[in-house]
Amino acid sequence: MALDSARQIARSTTELPADIEPAEAFAAAAWADQIDVRFATFKDGRGFSLAALLRQGGYEGRLRAIGHLLPDQKDALLRSGFDRVQADDAGEPARWARARAAHIYQPDPGAPQGRHTALHRRALAVRKARAEALAQELEGADPETILARALEVYAGRIALLSSFGAEAALGLHLLAGTDPETPVLFLETQRHFAQTLTYKDQLVSALGLKDVRVLEPDADEAAREDADAKLYERDGAACCELRKVRPLARGLEAFDAVITGRKRYHGGARGALKAVEFDGERVKINPLAFLSPEDVASRFTALDLPSHPLTQIGYASIGCWPCTTPASEPGSREGRWAGEDREECGIFDPALEARAQRAGSIRLI
Amino acid sequence: MYQYDVIDRELVNARTAEFREQVSARLSGALSEDEFKPLRLMNGVYLQLHAYMLRVAIPYGVLSSNQLRMLAQVAREYDKGYGHFTTRQNIQYNWPALVDIPAILDALASVEMHAIQTSGNTIRNTTTDPFAGAAADEIADPRPWCELIRQWSTQHPEFTWLPRKFKIAVTGSPADRAAIGVHDIGLKLVPGDKGIMGFEVHVGGGQGRTPRIAAKIRDYLPARELLAYLTAILRVYNLAGRRDNLYKARIKILVEDMGPEAFAAAVEETYEAIRGRDLAVPAEEIERVASFFTPPAPGRALENAPTDPAFARWRRVNVKPHKVPGRAVVVIALKAYGQAPGDASAAQMDLIADLAERYGEAEIRVTKEQNLVLPHMDEAALPALFEALKEAGLATANAGRASDIVACPGLDYCNLANARSIPIAQQISMGLEAAGLDEAAGEVTVKISGCINACGHHHVAEIGLLGVDKKGEEVYQLTLGGVADGEAAIGKILGPGLSADDAVRAVIACVRVFADHGANEERFSQTLARIGTDPFKEAVYGA
Repeated sequence: MALDSARQIARSTTELPADIEPAEAFAAAAWADQIDVRFATFKDGRGFSLAALLRQGGYEGRLRAIGHLLPDQKDALLRSGFDRVQADDAGEPARWARARAAHIYQPDPGAPQGRHTALHRRALAVRKARAEALAQELEGADPETILARALEVYAGRIALLSSFGAEAALGLHLLAGTDPETPVLFLETQRHFAQTLTYKDQLVSALGLKDVRVLEPDADEAAREDADAKLYERDGAACCELRKVRPLARGLEAFDAVITGRKRYHGGARGALKAVEFDGERVKINPLAFLSPEDVASRFTALDLPSHPLTQIGYASIGCWPCTTPASEPGSREGRWAGEDREECGIFDPALEARAQRAGSIRLI
Repeated sequence: MYQYDVIDRELVNARTAEFREQVSARLSGALSEDEFKPLRLMNGVYLQLHAYMLRVAIPYGVLSSNQLRMLAQVAREYDKGYGHFTTRQNIQYNWPALVDIPAILDALASVEMHAIQTSGNTIRNTTTDPFAGAAADEIADPRPWCELIRQWSTQHPEFTWLPRKFKIAVTGSPADRAAIGVHDIGLKLVPGDKGIMGFEVHVGGGQGRTPRIAAKIRDYLPARELLAYLTAILRVYNLAGRRDNLYKARIKILVEDMGPEAFAAAVEETYEAIRGRDLAVPAEEIERVASFFTPPAPGRALENAPTDPAFARWRRVNVKPHKVPGRAVVVIALKAYGQAPGDASAAQMDLIADLAERYGEAEIRVTKEQNLVLPHMDEAALPALFEALKEAGLATANAGRASDIVACPGLDYCNLANARSIPIAQQISMGLEAAGLDEAAGEVTVKISGCINACGHHHVAEIGLLGVDKKGEEVYQLTLGGVADGEAAIGKILGPGLSADDAVRAVIACVRVFADHGANEERFSQTLARIGTDPFKEAVYGA
């Protein structure tokens, strides 16, 4: 605590030369809330990489480029991570006021989650159009058809997301029968029922799934945000964010399409589910979207699939133990976040999706 | 070939507008010459001995007929009626006026061309195999990746003020016609597990005053990760490359000083930290860019080839096998006997553009040997093509032969040069013709640089000449055994320096030794390896 407050007091503006060793810059950044990087000459480009490095290393304070700089460099400096540019000679106001570039080929080096590049924008426009066409083609189709088509179109960049919950066996069986090498993502929230973990191992070996990837919360984040392991009591949404949303975002990095087990009969926003949806970045494939609870039950029986142990004692939809309670009827999600004004954990958040959909109306101008 | 979309077009237009503004800021005095110089350089404008020189980028050496016609028009309107194709697959105009350059850039932008980053301490035009997409031995087409590198490297916010210039070459063939071993970064397409294409990555090669062969720092990089890996290499270089000494500022010196292993470790660490979705090339974008580079439809085979021996010889020497039946790759050597290597007149450019359109796919390539290539010719049209080229002085049957000489501009244009290059090349070429040595000898590379900066690539010539200044006299060093493509090698000095006349005679003498000793189908370097340097020493310096 003493160290923290000492730092608070000591935080100040530090001036660094653009040619400083990166390690020294990081040491200085730990104590500063504003860094001025001085360019001795505009021709020395080290300061650009230095800014990018500081930003990517997590420095969030102010970062100013000062010294001998040209108006022609301003946009690149801002993109590299500086938030202000103050040249020794700030003449030629018109040239300093030039508009920033409308398009970028490279991600902004100083903003790891910045604007979309031209490459990305073009790809998303194509991805969206294809997903819409596919959704139309597969409207009302049976699960086998939807899955086979998705695996064909998104080969090498598609994964299935499974909770290994009450209804999960159906989708997993379908995948195992089509291509058991397809990656299966499982969010190990560290708050699962023990029965879920046992059930998972049982299903994986019974179905012969070859590539199950377990996604865990980041250990440092968990220690920081949930030190007493009671975050779920204080803020359920924050717990989901830590244990589901962020690990999934990391786990999905390599994939453009994700297969879910969602169905229309789950109700709420899922009532209008399509076979294929574009979420602004990725494509979600919902092979089971059009099944009824009766279809699911009869398929379970016909395929002789093992059921989740908790379903026998009244659980209909199974998530983490702190936020799951039994429900009155099979297929219902009423036992999830009972008593809270929530339907989703955030990985399928309808509000987020709606925003992404709007952002996804990407046009090439 | 690739075609701009709205984004590409607006980026180039914005850059052209920016340069126009910079030129007027210079003319008004708002920009000092010291400040203007790097800005004009990164827009391709040099100040040479007699005038400004404009270097126009020909991305990875690929031109359409319409683009070549525009280059011809620029030569006619703003230069002296010709252009000069360079060893970096670009074109240079030696006589434009500074005030005209914004207009030239506008004209170029109208056909999706520019001069961005053809000079300066920036990432330069990416070069590749001039037979890309046509070569029979190709594993994968490098051009989509070259285009992705073009976009990624264009106006890169972090890498426009590097310690020194930076050159990337890509090959998709094991034969490597892109000389990846002597580039700052050399990339070779290789198939990985499950057939997913990737790159073998080489770093730190180069020529100039300290020639170095690149070190391989990665056996396999998934292709979609390319831009993340390039970013990592450039960031390590931008931060750690030397800026205190112009001659030690290239990445080859950094790689050598750190050692390739330590350099590779620094790159890998940065790569791990920055790789991710933003820098991965989306599958849809790879597909989109690749869709511009589809192979041509089969052509018509040549039946009843003319018996004219001149045609037969031209076909044997200048026509190369194509991967598609009925198509052929045709090399137009800009090396007529006695001509300045790489020069083409506006009329010749127009003619070549027309022929590419009539008998091929309206596409032309520029080679690092300063030649042009018609990559997708209909085989049945070869006789008609030959006649048309011959009439324009463009059918010299010497592609890859001794008189297919590479030469830098030298003392005739360049203010760095110590000695003449072009006149030496012209004399050698005429001597070889008189002695019939192009026909008598097999394949050999001859390259001439007018100073130690090695723009004529003499280090990697099987027969190389380097012009130096010795007490006011032009003296030429002769080197043998350099190799640019495949297993790159630096040539070794054969003996004492030579006067200009003696250098001309020495090169011809070496070709004669090759002609006398070369077994069938042997390259010069193979003969050299077999018989050693003594016969060459004897021929050049006497017993």
